[in-house]
Amino acid sequence: MKTMTGLEHSASSVQVGIPAAILKPKKVRRRLDMTLWEKLYVAEIVRGLVVTSKHFFINMIGFIFPPAGKKRKVFTVYYPEEKLTLPPAYRGRPVLVADAAGEAKCVACGLCEKMCPAHAISIVAAEKAPGERYPERYTLDLGRCVYCGYCEEVCPKEAIVMSDEYQGLAQRDRSRLVFEKEQLLRPEGKVKARLTYVRRIYSKWNY
Amino acid sequence: MAADLIESVAKILFIFGVNVGVFAPILGWVERKQSAVMQDRIGANRADILGFTAIGLFHSLADAIKLLTKEDFVPDNASKFFHTLAPFISLVPAIAAFAIVPFGGRYELFGREIHLVIADLDVGILYVFALAGLATYGTVLAGWSSRSNWSLLGGLRASAQMLSYEVAMGLSIIGLIMVYGTLKLTEIGAIQENFFRWGIFLQPVGFIIFMTCAIAENKRIPFDIPEAESELVAGYFTEYSGMKFIMFWMAEFLEMVTISAVVTTLFFGAWHIPFVTDAMLLSWFAPAGPNGAAALAMLVNIAVFFAKVSFFIWLQMTIRWTLPRFRYDQVMRMCWKMLLPLSLINLSITGLVVLLR
Ligand code: SF4
Ligand code: SF4
Repeated sequence: MKTMTGLEHSASSVQVGIPAAILKPKKVRRRLDMTLWEKLYVAEIVRGLVVTSKHFFINMIGFIFPPAGKKRKVFTVYYPEEKLTLPPAYRGRPVLVADAAGEAKCVACGLCEKMCPAHAISIVAAEKAPGERYPERYTLDLGRCVYCGYCEEVCPKEAIVMSDEYQGLAQRDRSRLVFEKEQLLRPEGKVKARLTYVRRIYSKWNY
Repeated sequence: MAADLIESVAKILFIFGVNVGVFAPILGWVERKQSAVMQDRIGANRADILGFTAIGLFHSLADAIKLLTKEDFVPDNASKFFHTLAPFISLVPAIAAFAIVPFGGRYELFGREIHLVIADLDVGILYVFALAGLATYGTVLAGWSSRSNWSLLGGLRASAQMLSYEVAMGLSIIGLIMVYGTLKLTEIGAIQENFFRWGIFLQPVGFIIFMTCAIAENKRIPFDIPEAESELVAGYFTEYSGMKFIMFWMAEFLEMVTISAVVTTLFFGAWHIPFVTDAMLLSWFAPAGPNGAAALAMLVNIAVFFAKVSFFIWLQMTIRWTLPRFRYDQVMRMCWKMLLPLSLINLSITGLVVLLR
Protein backbone atom coordinates (compact mmCIF):
# COMPACT_ATOMS: atom_id res chain seq x y z
CA MET A 1 0.00 0.00 0.00
CA LYS A 2 1.35 3.40 -0.94
CA THR A 3 0.98 5.94 1.76
CA MET A 4 -0.09 9.47 1.26
CA THR A 5 3.41 10.73 1.77
CA GLY A 6 4.82 8.18 -0.63
CA LEU A 7 6.76 6.33 2.01
CA GLU A 8 6.71 2.57 2.15
CA HIS A 9 5.63 0.84 5.32
CA SER A 10 8.68 0.23 7.39
CA ALA A 11 8.39 -2.64 9.76
CA SER A 12 9.62 -1.48 13.10
CA SER A 13 12.40 -3.47 14.70
CA VAL A 14 11.72 -2.41 18.27
CA GLN A 15 9.85 -4.92 20.30
CA VAL A 16 8.24 -4.89 23.69
CA GLY A 17 7.34 -7.83 25.88
CA ILE A 18 7.02 -11.37 24.70
CA PRO A 19 7.62 -11.96 20.98
CA ALA A 20 4.63 -13.67 19.44
CA ALA A 21 6.80 -16.57 18.33
CA ILE A 22 7.56 -17.50 21.95
CA LEU A 23 4.08 -16.91 23.22
CA LYS A 24 2.41 -19.34 20.82
CA PRO A 25 -1.15 -18.62 21.89
CA LYS A 26 -3.15 -21.79 22.15
CA LYS A 27 -6.73 -21.99 21.06
CA VAL A 28 -9.15 -21.48 23.92
CA ARG A 29 -11.14 -24.59 24.55
CA ARG A 30 -14.56 -23.74 25.84
CA ARG A 31 -16.19 -26.96 26.84
CA LEU A 32 -19.00 -26.97 29.28
CA ASP A 33 -19.56 -30.71 29.18
CA MET A 34 -16.59 -32.14 30.99
CA THR A 35 -15.57 -35.74 30.63
CA LEU A 36 -15.68 -37.98 33.66
CA TRP A 37 -11.90 -37.81 33.89
CA GLU A 38 -12.04 -34.05 34.15
CA LYS A 39 -14.90 -34.18 36.60
CA LEU A 40 -12.79 -36.34 38.87
CA TYR A 41 -10.87 -33.16 39.46
CA VAL A 42 -7.76 -34.60 41.00
CA ALA A 43 -6.18 -35.55 37.69
CA GLU A 44 -6.81 -32.13 36.24
CA ILE A 45 -5.42 -30.45 39.34
CA VAL A 46 -2.29 -32.54 39.01
CA ARG A 47 -2.05 -31.49 35.37
CA GLY A 48 -2.23 -27.84 36.42
CA LEU A 49 0.37 -28.40 39.11
CA VAL A 50 2.67 -30.01 36.57
CA VAL A 51 2.45 -26.93 34.35
CA THR A 52 3.25 -24.49 37.13
CA SER A 53 5.97 -26.58 38.69
CA LYS A 54 7.54 -27.05 35.27
CA HIS A 55 7.89 -23.29 35.09
CA PHE A 56 9.16 -23.27 38.66
CA PHE A 57 11.91 -25.79 38.08
CA ILE A 58 12.99 -24.45 34.69
CA ASN A 59 13.24 -20.96 36.16
CA MET A 60 15.03 -22.22 39.27
CA ILE A 61 17.65 -23.87 37.10
CA GLY A 62 17.82 -20.69 35.05
CA PHE A 63 18.39 -18.61 38.16
CA ILE A 64 21.10 -20.84 39.54
CA PHE A 65 22.90 -21.49 36.25
CA PRO A 66 21.94 -18.62 33.97
CA PRO A 67 22.13 -19.87 30.38
CA ALA A 68 25.00 -18.03 28.71
CA GLY A 69 24.06 -15.88 25.76
CA LYS A 70 20.46 -17.02 25.67
CA LYS A 71 17.70 -14.61 26.53
CA ARG A 72 16.31 -15.45 29.93
CA LYS A 73 12.82 -16.80 30.24
CA VAL A 74 11.93 -14.29 32.91
CA PHE A 75 10.60 -11.15 31.32
CA THR A 76 10.82 -8.82 34.29
CA VAL A 77 12.63 -5.59 33.43
CA TYR A 78 14.72 -4.19 36.27
CA TYR A 79 13.21 -0.79 35.71
CA PRO A 80 15.57 1.98 36.65
CA GLU A 81 18.59 -0.02 35.52
CA GLU A 82 17.03 -1.50 32.42
CA LYS A 83 14.61 0.29 30.16
CA LEU A 84 12.28 -0.92 27.51
CA THR A 85 12.57 0.19 23.93
CA LEU A 86 9.04 1.27 23.30
CA PRO A 87 7.31 0.74 19.98
CA PRO A 88 6.50 3.80 17.87
CA ALA A 89 2.82 3.29 18.59
CA TYR A 90 3.45 4.25 22.22
CA ARG A 91 2.02 7.65 23.14
CA GLY A 92 4.46 9.23 25.55
CA ARG A 93 4.48 12.92 26.26
CA PRO A 94 4.00 15.21 23.27
CA VAL A 95 7.08 17.04 22.01
CA LEU A 96 7.67 19.71 19.42
CA VAL A 97 9.71 18.82 16.37
CA ALA A 98 12.60 21.10 15.51
CA ASP A 99 13.77 21.67 11.96
CA ALA A 100 17.39 21.60 10.80
CA ALA A 101 18.01 25.09 12.19
CA GLY A 102 16.75 24.05 15.58
CA GLU A 103 13.61 26.14 15.33
CA ALA A 104 10.19 24.72 15.96
CA LYS A 105 8.42 23.58 12.82
CA CYS A 106 5.21 24.84 14.33
CA VAL A 107 3.49 27.67 12.50
CA ALA A 108 1.32 28.65 15.43
CA CYS A 109 -1.88 27.86 13.58
CA GLY A 110 -3.53 27.08 16.88
CA LEU A 111 -5.25 23.92 15.71
CA CYS A 112 -3.75 21.80 18.46
CA GLU A 113 -4.67 24.36 21.08
CA LYS A 114 -8.23 24.28 19.83
CA MET A 115 -8.33 20.51 19.51
CA CYS A 116 -6.81 19.61 22.84
CA PRO A 117 -9.60 18.15 24.97
CA ALA A 118 -7.78 18.93 28.18
CA HIS A 119 -6.81 22.51 27.31
CA ALA A 120 -3.22 21.59 27.96
CA ILE A 121 -1.72 23.70 25.20
CA SER A 122 -1.49 27.46 25.07
CA ILE A 123 0.26 29.29 22.30
CA VAL A 124 1.34 32.88 21.96
CA ALA A 125 1.78 33.47 18.25
CA ALA A 126 4.05 36.03 16.64
CA GLU A 127 5.32 36.81 13.15
CA LYS A 128 8.92 36.46 12.01
CA ALA A 129 8.25 38.09 8.68
CA PRO A 130 4.92 39.24 7.30
CA GLY A 131 2.78 36.10 6.87
CA GLU A 132 5.31 33.83 8.57
CA ARG A 133 4.00 32.93 11.97
CA TYR A 134 5.83 31.15 14.72
CA PRO A 135 4.97 30.38 18.34
CA GLU A 136 6.59 32.93 20.56
CA ARG A 137 5.59 30.86 23.52
CA TYR A 138 4.34 27.34 23.39
CA THR A 139 3.28 26.03 26.78
CA LEU A 140 2.22 22.46 27.38
CA ASP A 141 0.81 21.58 30.78
CA LEU A 142 1.62 17.91 31.17
CA GLY A 143 -0.38 17.86 34.36
CA ARG A 144 -3.47 18.30 32.19
CA CYS A 145 -2.48 16.36 29.10
CA VAL A 146 -4.33 13.07 28.74
CA TYR A 147 -1.98 11.67 26.06
CA CYS A 148 -4.77 11.36 23.54
CA GLY A 149 -2.60 12.33 20.61
CA TYR A 150 -5.19 14.61 19.03
CA CYS A 151 -2.67 17.45 18.82
CA GLU A 152 -0.38 15.25 16.79
CA GLU A 153 -3.22 14.11 14.59
CA VAL A 154 -4.48 17.58 13.84
CA CYS A 155 -1.15 19.30 13.25
CA PRO A 156 -0.72 20.16 9.58
CA LYS A 157 3.04 20.57 9.89
CA GLU A 158 4.00 17.44 11.80
CA ALA A 159 5.30 19.86 14.35
CA ILE A 160 3.99 18.12 17.44
CA VAL A 161 4.31 14.36 17.94
CA MET A 162 3.94 11.92 20.77
CA SER A 163 7.40 10.82 21.84
CA ASP A 164 8.44 7.69 23.69
CA GLU A 165 9.40 9.69 26.78
CA TYR A 166 7.62 8.65 29.91
CA GLN A 167 9.97 9.73 32.67
CA GLY A 168 9.88 12.89 34.71
CA LEU A 169 6.11 12.97 34.85
CA ALA A 170 5.91 12.41 38.58
CA GLN A 171 6.63 15.69 40.32
CA ARG A 172 5.90 17.04 43.76
CA ASP A 173 4.79 20.35 42.30
CA ARG A 174 2.33 20.78 39.46
CA SER A 175 4.08 23.86 38.20
CA ARG A 176 7.05 21.71 37.26
CA LEU A 177 4.85 19.86 34.80
CA VAL A 178 4.30 22.97 32.74
CA PHE A 179 6.77 22.68 29.88
CA GLU A 180 7.90 25.58 27.76
CA LYS A 181 8.81 25.49 24.10
CA GLU A 182 12.53 25.18 24.81
CA GLN A 183 11.96 22.11 26.96
CA LEU A 184 9.71 20.54 24.36
CA LEU A 185 11.88 20.90 21.29
CA ARG A 186 13.40 17.70 19.96
CA PRO A 187 15.51 17.29 16.81
CA GLU A 188 13.63 15.55 14.05
CA GLY A 189 15.94 12.55 14.07
CA LYS A 190 14.85 11.65 17.56
CA VAL A 191 11.20 11.24 16.66
CA LYS A 192 11.70 9.70 13.24
CA ALA A 193 10.20 6.34 14.11
CA ARG A 194 7.06 7.96 15.42
CA LEU A 195 6.79 10.24 12.39
CA THR A 196 7.00 7.29 10.02
CA TYR A 197 4.41 5.47 12.05
CA VAL A 198 2.09 8.46 12.17
CA ARG A 199 2.30 8.97 8.44
CA ARG A 200 1.38 5.37 7.94
CA ILE A 201 -1.61 5.16 10.22
CA TYR A 202 -3.12 8.55 9.49
CA SER A 203 -2.79 8.02 5.76
CA LYS A 204 -5.51 5.39 6.07
CA TRP A 205 -8.10 8.07 6.62
CA ASN A 206 -6.68 10.28 3.93
CA TYR A 207 -6.73 13.56 5.73
CA MET B 1 13.78 -35.76 86.80
CA ALA B 2 16.03 -32.81 86.05
CA ALA B 3 17.27 -34.59 82.93
CA ASP B 4 13.68 -35.13 81.80
CA LEU B 5 12.96 -31.49 82.29
CA ILE B 6 16.04 -30.43 80.34
CA GLU B 7 15.14 -32.82 77.55
CA SER B 8 11.58 -31.51 77.32
CA VAL B 9 12.65 -27.89 77.41
CA ALA B 10 15.28 -28.54 74.75
CA LYS B 11 12.71 -30.20 72.49
CA ILE B 12 10.18 -27.43 73.02
CA LEU B 13 12.79 -24.77 72.32
CA PHE B 14 13.91 -26.61 69.21
CA ILE B 15 10.40 -26.90 67.76
CA PHE B 16 9.49 -23.38 68.81
CA GLY B 17 12.68 -22.03 67.31
CA VAL B 18 12.24 -23.89 64.06
CA ASN B 19 8.62 -22.83 63.75
CA VAL B 20 8.63 -19.25 64.92
CA GLY B 21 12.23 -18.43 64.19
CA VAL B 22 12.74 -20.12 60.84
CA PHE B 23 9.52 -21.15 59.17
CA ALA B 24 7.28 -18.20 60.04
CA PRO B 25 9.56 -15.44 58.72
CA ILE B 26 10.97 -17.42 55.84
CA LEU B 27 7.63 -18.62 54.50
CA GLY B 28 6.58 -15.05 53.78
CA TRP B 29 9.65 -14.76 51.62
CA VAL B 30 9.11 -18.21 50.10
CA GLU B 31 5.57 -17.33 49.17
CA ARG B 32 6.64 -14.20 47.32
CA LYS B 33 9.64 -15.72 45.69
CA GLN B 34 8.04 -19.01 44.72
CA SER B 35 5.04 -17.34 43.15
CA ALA B 36 7.42 -15.12 41.22
CA VAL B 37 9.49 -18.00 39.95
CA MET B 38 6.39 -19.94 38.98
CA GLN B 39 5.04 -16.99 37.03
CA ASP B 40 8.31 -16.20 35.21
CA ARG B 41 8.92 -13.15 37.37
CA ILE B 42 11.79 -12.31 39.68
CA GLY B 43 10.05 -11.37 42.89
CA ALA B 44 11.00 -9.18 45.80
CA ASN B 45 14.70 -8.33 45.60
CA ARG B 46 15.09 -4.66 46.41
CA ALA B 47 15.42 -4.47 50.19
CA ASP B 48 19.12 -4.38 50.89
CA ILE B 49 21.56 -3.83 53.70
CA LEU B 50 24.67 -2.04 52.41
CA GLY B 51 23.87 -3.12 48.89
CA PHE B 52 23.59 -6.77 49.87
CA THR B 53 20.13 -8.12 49.09
CA ALA B 54 20.38 -11.83 50.06
CA ILE B 55 17.94 -12.78 47.27
CA GLY B 56 15.18 -10.74 48.83
CA LEU B 57 15.35 -12.24 52.32
CA PHE B 58 15.57 -8.81 53.91
CA HIS B 59 12.02 -8.10 52.83
CA SER B 60 10.86 -10.33 55.66
CA LEU B 61 12.96 -8.28 58.05
CA ALA B 62 11.61 -5.04 56.65
CA ASP B 63 8.07 -6.39 56.96
CA ALA B 64 8.64 -7.38 60.55
CA ILE B 65 10.02 -3.95 61.47
CA LYS B 66 7.20 -2.22 59.67
CA LEU B 67 4.44 -4.27 61.23
CA LEU B 68 5.90 -4.17 64.72
CA THR B 69 6.14 -0.39 64.70
CA LYS B 70 2.71 0.17 63.22
CA GLU B 71 -0.17 1.58 65.20
CA ASP B 72 -2.25 -1.08 66.85
CA PHE B 73 -5.70 -0.04 65.76
CA VAL B 74 -8.98 -1.16 67.31
CA PRO B 75 -12.11 0.13 65.59
CA ASP B 76 -14.69 2.15 67.51
CA ASN B 77 -17.43 0.00 68.98
CA ALA B 78 -15.37 -3.12 68.47
CA SER B 79 -15.30 -5.48 71.39
CA LYS B 80 -11.81 -4.64 72.57
CA PHE B 81 -11.22 -7.72 74.64
CA PHE B 82 -12.23 -10.24 72.00
CA HIS B 83 -10.61 -8.21 69.29
CA THR B 84 -7.32 -8.56 71.11
CA LEU B 85 -7.93 -12.16 72.10
CA ALA B 86 -8.73 -13.45 68.60
CA PRO B 87 -5.23 -13.40 67.10
CA PHE B 88 -3.89 -15.24 70.14
CA ILE B 89 -6.54 -17.92 69.81
CA SER B 90 -5.51 -18.31 66.19
CA LEU B 91 -1.80 -18.41 66.81
CA VAL B 92 -1.56 -20.58 69.92
CA PRO B 93 -3.17 -23.73 68.44
CA ALA B 94 -1.02 -23.36 65.36
CA ILE B 95 2.11 -23.48 67.51
CA ALA B 96 0.80 -26.00 70.01
CA ALA B 97 -0.35 -28.54 67.45
CA PHE B 98 3.25 -29.36 66.68
CA ALA B 99 3.71 -30.76 70.17
CA ILE B 100 2.52 -34.25 69.29
CA VAL B 101 4.30 -34.54 65.97
CA PRO B 102 7.33 -36.80 66.26
CA PHE B 103 10.26 -35.35 64.37
CA GLY B 104 12.47 -38.35 64.96
CA GLY B 105 12.43 -41.80 66.51
CA ARG B 106 13.91 -43.20 69.73
CA TYR B 107 17.64 -43.04 70.35
CA GLU B 108 19.96 -44.42 73.05
CA LEU B 109 22.15 -41.48 73.92
CA PHE B 110 24.51 -41.65 76.93
CA GLY B 111 22.33 -44.24 78.59
CA ARG B 112 19.21 -42.15 78.17
CA GLU B 113 16.35 -42.95 75.88
CA ILE B 114 15.73 -39.83 73.82
CA HIS B 115 12.34 -39.66 72.27
CA LEU B 116 11.99 -36.95 69.68
CA VAL B 117 8.46 -35.79 70.36
CA ILE B 118 7.36 -33.17 72.83
CA ALA B 119 4.23 -34.94 74.09
CA ASP B 120 3.65 -38.55 73.16
CA LEU B 121 -0.10 -38.54 73.71
CA ASP B 122 -2.13 -41.71 73.43
CA VAL B 123 -4.84 -39.83 71.60
CA GLY B 124 -2.25 -38.24 69.29
CA ILE B 125 -4.10 -37.29 66.19
CA LEU B 126 -7.28 -36.33 68.05
CA TYR B 127 -5.27 -33.60 69.75
CA VAL B 128 -4.51 -32.10 66.34
CA PHE B 129 -8.20 -32.10 65.49
CA ALA B 130 -9.07 -30.55 68.83
CA LEU B 131 -6.62 -27.72 68.24
CA ALA B 132 -7.81 -27.27 64.67
CA GLY B 133 -11.30 -26.87 66.08
CA LEU B 134 -10.00 -24.31 68.56
CA ALA B 135 -8.39 -22.30 65.79
CA THR B 136 -11.85 -21.79 64.32
CA TYR B 137 -12.71 -19.69 67.35
CA GLY B 138 -9.90 -17.29 66.61
CA THR B 139 -11.21 -16.69 63.14
CA VAL B 140 -14.85 -16.40 64.15
CA LEU B 141 -14.07 -14.13 67.10
CA ALA B 142 -11.93 -11.90 64.93
CA GLY B 143 -14.75 -11.57 62.45
CA TRP B 144 -17.42 -11.01 65.04
CA SER B 145 -15.61 -8.63 67.39
CA SER B 146 -14.39 -6.19 64.73
CA ARG B 147 -17.79 -4.56 64.17
CA SER B 148 -17.25 -4.59 60.45
CA ASN B 149 -19.55 -6.18 57.91
CA TRP B 150 -16.69 -7.56 55.92
CA SER B 151 -15.15 -9.14 58.96
CA LEU B 152 -18.46 -10.53 60.08
CA LEU B 153 -19.11 -12.12 56.71
CA GLY B 154 -15.61 -13.52 56.72
CA GLY B 155 -16.12 -14.93 60.19
CA LEU B 156 -19.43 -16.51 59.20
CA ARG B 157 -17.94 -18.10 56.15
CA ALA B 158 -14.98 -19.29 58.18
CA SER B 159 -17.18 -20.95 60.75
CA ALA B 160 -19.21 -22.72 58.07
CA GLN B 161 -16.21 -23.78 56.05
CA MET B 162 -13.95 -24.87 58.86
CA LEU B 163 -16.59 -26.83 60.70
CA SER B 164 -17.70 -28.61 57.54
CA TYR B 165 -14.24 -29.59 56.53
CA GLU B 166 -13.38 -30.83 59.98
CA VAL B 167 -15.95 -33.58 59.52
CA ALA B 168 -14.49 -34.83 56.28
CA MET B 169 -10.96 -34.45 57.63
CA GLY B 170 -11.72 -36.54 60.69
CA LEU B 171 -13.35 -39.24 58.60
CA SER B 172 -10.49 -39.34 56.14
CA ILE B 173 -8.04 -40.21 58.89
CA ILE B 174 -10.10 -42.97 60.50
CA GLY B 175 -9.27 -45.36 57.66
CA LEU B 176 -5.59 -44.90 58.34
CA ILE B 177 -6.08 -45.33 62.06
CA MET B 178 -7.93 -48.57 61.44
CA VAL B 179 -5.11 -49.91 59.30
CA TYR B 180 -2.40 -48.94 61.77
CA GLY B 181 -4.46 -49.78 64.82
CA THR B 182 -3.17 -46.88 66.85
CA LEU B 183 -3.77 -43.20 67.43
CA LYS B 184 -0.28 -42.50 68.65
CA LEU B 185 1.67 -40.57 66.08
CA THR B 186 4.96 -42.00 67.30
CA GLU B 187 3.72 -45.56 66.72
CA ILE B 188 2.28 -44.63 63.33
CA GLY B 189 5.67 -43.19 62.48
CA ALA B 190 7.49 -46.30 63.70
CA ILE B 191 5.27 -48.62 61.64
CA GLN B 192 6.24 -46.73 58.51
CA GLU B 193 9.84 -47.90 58.81
CA ASN B 194 8.73 -50.40 56.18
CA PHE B 195 8.46 -48.45 52.93
CA PHE B 196 5.45 -50.47 51.77
CA ARG B 197 3.54 -49.60 54.92
CA TRP B 198 3.64 -45.88 54.21
CA GLY B 199 0.23 -44.29 54.56
CA ILE B 200 0.18 -43.06 50.98
CA PHE B 201 0.19 -46.68 49.73
CA LEU B 202 -2.36 -47.88 52.25
CA GLN B 203 -4.73 -44.93 52.00
CA PRO B 204 -4.19 -42.93 48.80
CA VAL B 205 -7.76 -41.63 48.78
CA GLY B 206 -7.49 -40.73 52.44
CA PHE B 207 -4.38 -38.74 51.66
CA ILE B 208 -6.08 -36.69 48.97
CA ILE B 209 -9.11 -35.99 51.16
CA PHE B 210 -6.96 -35.13 54.14
CA MET B 211 -4.75 -32.80 52.14
CA THR B 212 -7.76 -31.03 50.63
CA CYS B 213 -9.48 -30.63 53.97
CA ALA B 214 -6.29 -29.51 55.64
CA ILE B 215 -5.80 -26.73 53.10
CA ALA B 216 -9.45 -25.77 53.58
CA GLU B 217 -8.94 -25.74 57.35
CA ASN B 218 -6.03 -23.41 56.84
CA LYS B 219 -8.20 -21.10 54.70
CA ARG B 220 -5.65 -20.84 51.94
CA ILE B 221 -6.43 -20.50 48.26
CA PRO B 222 -8.32 -22.29 46.68
CA PHE B 223 -10.39 -22.28 49.87
CA ASP B 224 -9.84 -18.67 50.88
CA ILE B 225 -13.47 -17.61 51.09
CA PRO B 226 -13.15 -16.37 54.70
CA GLU B 227 -10.46 -13.97 53.50
CA ALA B 228 -11.76 -13.44 50.00
CA GLU B 229 -9.55 -10.53 49.09
CA SER B 230 -11.63 -9.79 46.02
CA GLU B 231 -14.92 -9.61 47.90
CA LEU B 232 -14.36 -8.94 51.58
CA VAL B 233 -11.21 -6.80 51.58
CA ALA B 234 -9.38 -9.18 53.89
CA GLY B 235 -12.28 -11.04 55.45
CA TYR B 236 -12.07 -11.71 59.12
CA PHE B 237 -8.85 -9.75 59.69
CA THR B 238 -9.84 -6.64 57.77
CA GLU B 239 -9.78 -4.52 60.93
CA TYR B 240 -6.43 -5.71 62.21
CA SER B 241 -3.14 -3.95 61.95
CA GLY B 242 0.39 -4.18 63.19
CA MET B 243 1.33 -6.99 65.50
CA LYS B 244 -2.10 -8.59 65.60
CA PHE B 245 -2.25 -8.71 61.84
CA ILE B 246 1.13 -10.40 61.69
CA MET B 247 -0.13 -12.95 64.20
CA PHE B 248 -2.86 -14.07 61.81
CA TRP B 249 -0.28 -14.42 59.11
CA MET B 250 2.03 -16.35 61.36
CA ALA B 251 -0.85 -18.60 62.35
CA GLU B 252 -1.54 -19.31 58.71
CA PHE B 253 2.08 -20.12 57.95
CA LEU B 254 2.53 -22.23 61.06
CA GLU B 255 -0.65 -24.15 60.33
CA MET B 256 0.85 -24.85 56.95
CA VAL B 257 3.95 -26.24 58.62
CA THR B 258 1.84 -28.29 61.00
CA ILE B 259 -0.27 -29.69 58.18
CA SER B 260 2.89 -30.65 56.34
CA ALA B 261 4.29 -32.28 59.46
CA VAL B 262 1.10 -34.24 60.11
CA VAL B 263 0.84 -35.36 56.50
CA THR B 264 4.47 -36.44 56.59
CA THR B 265 3.92 -38.39 59.77
CA LEU B 266 0.69 -40.02 58.71
CA PHE B 267 1.27 -40.70 55.03
CA PHE B 268 4.89 -40.22 54.08
CA GLY B 269 6.96 -42.30 56.42
CA ALA B 270 7.56 -39.69 59.12
CA TRP B 271 11.32 -39.52 59.75
CA HIS B 272 12.24 -42.59 57.70
CA ILE B 273 14.22 -42.71 54.50
CA PRO B 274 12.61 -45.20 52.05
CA PHE B 275 14.12 -48.70 52.33
CA VAL B 276 16.39 -47.64 55.21
CA THR B 277 15.50 -49.00 58.62
CA ASP B 278 16.66 -47.43 61.85
CA ALA B 279 18.98 -50.35 62.49
CA MET B 280 20.60 -49.92 59.09
CA LEU B 281 21.16 -46.25 59.77
CA LEU B 282 22.79 -47.08 63.11
CA SER B 283 25.03 -49.69 61.53
CA TRP B 284 26.20 -47.21 58.87
CA PHE B 285 27.28 -44.78 61.52
CA ALA B 286 28.73 -47.51 63.75
CA PRO B 287 32.35 -46.29 63.35
CA ALA B 288 31.37 -43.17 65.33
CA GLY B 289 30.81 -45.26 68.46
CA PRO B 290 27.39 -46.08 69.91
CA ASN B 291 26.65 -42.56 71.11
CA GLY B 292 28.01 -40.92 67.99
CA ALA B 293 26.06 -43.29 65.79
CA ALA B 294 22.84 -42.54 67.65
CA ALA B 295 23.46 -38.81 67.45
CA LEU B 296 24.24 -38.96 63.73
CA ALA B 297 21.17 -41.12 63.07
CA MET B 298 19.11 -38.62 65.03
CA LEU B 299 20.40 -35.72 62.96
CA VAL B 300 19.78 -37.59 59.72
CA ASN B 301 16.24 -38.43 60.79
CA ILE B 302 15.46 -34.86 61.80
CA ALA B 303 16.88 -33.63 58.50
CA VAL B 304 14.81 -36.15 56.55
CA PHE B 305 11.70 -35.19 58.45
CA PHE B 306 12.12 -31.49 57.82
CA ALA B 307 13.04 -32.12 54.19
CA LYS B 308 9.70 -33.87 53.77
CA VAL B 309 7.94 -31.07 55.61
CA SER B 310 9.57 -28.56 53.30
CA PHE B 311 8.41 -30.53 50.32
CA PHE B 312 4.81 -30.41 51.50
CA ILE B 313 5.07 -26.71 52.21
CA TRP B 314 6.32 -26.32 48.66
CA LEU B 315 3.39 -28.40 47.42
CA GLN B 316 0.88 -26.29 49.31
CA MET B 317 2.42 -23.11 47.94
CA THR B 318 2.31 -24.54 44.44
CA ILE B 319 -1.35 -25.41 44.89
CA ARG B 320 -2.03 -21.94 46.17
CA TRP B 321 -0.45 -20.31 43.15
CA THR B 322 -1.91 -22.72 40.63
CA LEU B 323 -5.61 -23.12 41.35
CA PRO B 324 -8.27 -20.45 41.08
CA ARG B 325 -10.43 -19.94 44.12
CA PHE B 326 -13.74 -21.66 44.70
CA ARG B 327 -17.00 -19.88 45.08
CA TYR B 328 -18.72 -20.19 48.44
CA ASP B 329 -21.34 -22.66 47.24
CA GLN B 330 -18.70 -24.69 45.47
CA VAL B 331 -16.71 -24.98 48.66
CA MET B 332 -19.73 -26.26 50.51
CA ARG B 333 -20.78 -28.62 47.73
CA MET B 334 -17.29 -30.02 47.49
CA CYS B 335 -17.26 -30.76 51.19
CA TRP B 336 -20.70 -32.23 51.73
CA LYS B 337 -21.37 -33.80 48.35
CA MET B 338 -17.95 -35.01 47.31
CA LEU B 339 -15.44 -35.29 50.11
CA LEU B 340 -17.77 -36.55 52.81
CA PRO B 341 -19.31 -39.42 50.78
CA LEU B 342 -15.87 -40.23 49.40
CA SER B 343 -14.38 -40.49 52.84
CA LEU B 344 -17.30 -42.63 54.00
CA ILE B 345 -16.82 -44.99 51.04
CA ASN B 346 -13.12 -45.06 51.72
CA LEU B 347 -13.87 -45.83 55.34
CA SER B 348 -16.20 -48.75 54.60
CA ILE B 349 -13.85 -50.30 52.05
CA THR B 350 -10.97 -50.00 54.48
CA GLY B 351 -13.14 -51.56 57.17
CA LEU B 352 -13.97 -54.50 54.93
CA VAL B 353 -10.35 -55.07 54.00
CA VAL B 354 -9.21 -54.85 57.61
CA LEU B 355 -11.96 -57.26 58.65
CA LEU B 356 -11.32 -59.83 55.94
CA ARG B 357 -7.55 -59.83 56.19
S1 SF4 C 1 -2.07 14.67 23.69
FE1 SF4 C 1 -4.19 15.32 23.81
S2 SF4 C 1 -4.34 16.24 25.83
FE2 SF4 C 1 -2.18 16.08 25.41
S3 SF4 C 1 -1.64 18.04 24.53
FE3 SF4 C 1 -2.13 16.68 22.84
S4 SF4 C 1 -4.29 17.06 22.43
FE4 SF4 C 1 -3.87 17.90 24.46
S1 SF4 D 1 -1.21 22.30 15.14
FE1 SF4 D 1 0.97 22.07 14.78
S2 SF4 D 1 1.52 23.89 13.62
FE2 SF4 D 1 -0.47 24.27 14.52
S3 SF4 D 1 0.00 25.28 16.44
FE3 SF4 D 1 -0.18 23.14 16.90
S4 SF4 D 1 1.90 22.38 16.75
FE4 SF4 D 1 1.89 24.38 15.76
